Amino acid sequence: MRRKQIVRELKVAWAIATKDMKIYYLKTPSLMFGILFPFAMFLSFVVGRDMPISRAIPVLVAQTVFFAASSIGPVSIPIERRLQTFDRFLSAPVSLLTVLLGKTIAGFVYGVGISFIPVAIGLAIFGSQITDLVALTMGMGLSAFGFAAMGIMFASLPGQGPGQVLMPLNFVRIPLLFISGVYVAVKDLPSWGQVASAASPLTHTIELIRLGLGGENFFGPAINMAVLTFYLIAFLIAGMRFHIINQKRD
Amino acid sequence: MCAECVIEASNLTKYYGKFCAVDHISFKVEDGEIFGFLGPNGAGKTTTVRMLTGISLPSDGWATIKGHDIQKQSVEAKEVMGIVPDISNVYTELSAWDNLTFTGQLYGVSKADRERRARELLEMFNLYDRRHEKLEDYSRGMKRRVCIAMALVNRSSILFLDEPTAGLDVQSVITIRELIGKLNRDGLTVFLTTHNMEEASQMCDRIAIINHGRIAAIDTPERLKRTTKGLQSVEIAFETMNRSISEDLKALSSVTEVRKQGDKFKLYTDNPPSVLAAVWDYAKAKGLKLITVNTVGPSLEDVFVKLTGIREEPESGARKGLRGRGRRTGGMQ
Repeated sequence: MRRKQIVRELKVAWAIATKDMKIYYLKTPSLMFGILFPFAMFLSFVVGRDMPISRAIPVLVAQTVFFAASSIGPVSIPIERRLQTFDRFLSAPVSLLTVLLGKTIAGFVYGVGISFIPVAIGLAIFGSQITDLVALTMGMGLSAFGFAAMGIMFASLPGQGPGQVLMPLNFVRIPLLFISGVYVAVKDLPSWGQVASAASPLTHTIELIRLGLGGENFFGPAINMAVLTFYLIAFLIAGMRFHIINQKRD
Repeated sequence: MCAECVIEASNLTKYYGKFCAVDHISFKVEDGEIFGFLGPNGAGKTTTVRMLTGISLPSDGWATIKGHDIQKQSVEAKEVMGIVPDISNVYTELSAWDNLTFTGQLYGVSKADRERRARELLEMFNLYDRRHEKLEDYSRGMKRRVCIAMALVNRSSILFLDEPTAGLDVQSVITIRELIGKLNRDGLTVFLTTHNMEEASQMCDRIAIINHGRIAAIDTPERLKRTTKGLQSVEIAFETMNRSISEDLKALSSVTEVRKQGDKFKLYTDNPPSVLAAVWDYAKAKGLKLITVNTVGPSLEDVFVKLTGIREEPESGARKGLRGRGRRTGGMQ
């Protein structure tokens, strides 16, 4: 009985995810904040610097996972709240966790799908090599899940449009780039910066992806995965709590 | 708990900050009835529906759907209901077919069954030929029909309809009312919120009148009308009009109030025969030709106005935001 219910809830989560893929992947804010933004930021930091492209590829992959995965929830949920289509989920015989899981899967697939492009380009053109497939897979997959859940959590902020969620989200996303060892390696950060970077989920994403593509790792893959798993669970729980608060308030 | 009741609300309350939108309301809806929830804008109708359907959580009180607490056994409660909110919350980027099949997936309906059901409903709602078109190309009435069809995909036995005909053209209104009537005859329980008197009077088995978040009365439309004594009236129109007529009519014996409604006057009274005789004498004395005389029983609108305290300025014609007609009991035209 319990197993049947779990299978049913997973099917519903997948149905919500595929519906979101059809509707929101090509919406302007998704393309803008999920694809254009990380690519533009990457180019502005890399162009003119004396850095081989193959070393820069992990940075681009990590940034793309980060921005793409965390953009779908903040685009879909405010739009659905405004059009009251989100009410369809709240009045359906499924748990709130299933609904948020469906939304998270949509962000996850977007994040992994988009970030696979720079990986493929790096492998095909710039001589990147996969030295640790598990680290790369976990770096992309686990991070995409976590960042998608982070987007869902931010999407619970009151607001009737994606801009009202994406703007505060960017206040968090952009500073994280500077403390997460993306442009300056963690070992080169001052000690306070290393402590701060340890707390950032993006640090552990870039660490795993660098390891996967033949680079250095400061904290170790086990810690990277543990921290990302912690954030994934924390974002999902916080997202649920915030959505329940919204239900009480609405 | 009531055995025959499919919806039961007890002390249901909703606060928005310090503002009490729904104030400890209690009611029961029986199996197979059309239950009207009538009230002016902002009375608490939509908030009540949102609490009954689990979309919003109540600040206090509880509600059950077929005996299942909407908060504690929400999955069981939600499985048997369909919801049509006050706006058509369809996915305009998807086709009618995709909207229906997606809703079937949300309710855990098997692929074969949801496709069969989508076909049945789209045929019933005359939308099957355009099933693959995106809803952004549909008219408002067509979107409304898709929205109602989506609420029936799971073969729900209780349908919540929040202002289902608001803002639609006459043909769409008639079509939707006929569909609701047919679904009810087939055994569906309907919880209908509206501020349309005519709709409530024509369609509902029982009506609850809600105002300022509180239920003012619950009864059948006809019993509600009968409880409102002193709201009988005589409706008259003269061939020619002049400014003094209204003042003259007010002075007639047994007339308690005069309202000008377009080219007619409505004379409120608790003694229609006496007013008829006085009007006849007045017309004769002034040389006016009567072209319309009707005696009108209290309408649901009258009951509503009395219970909610909504009043317009005297002689200002039809009441704002309210539609419908009184119960004509006789007359000439």
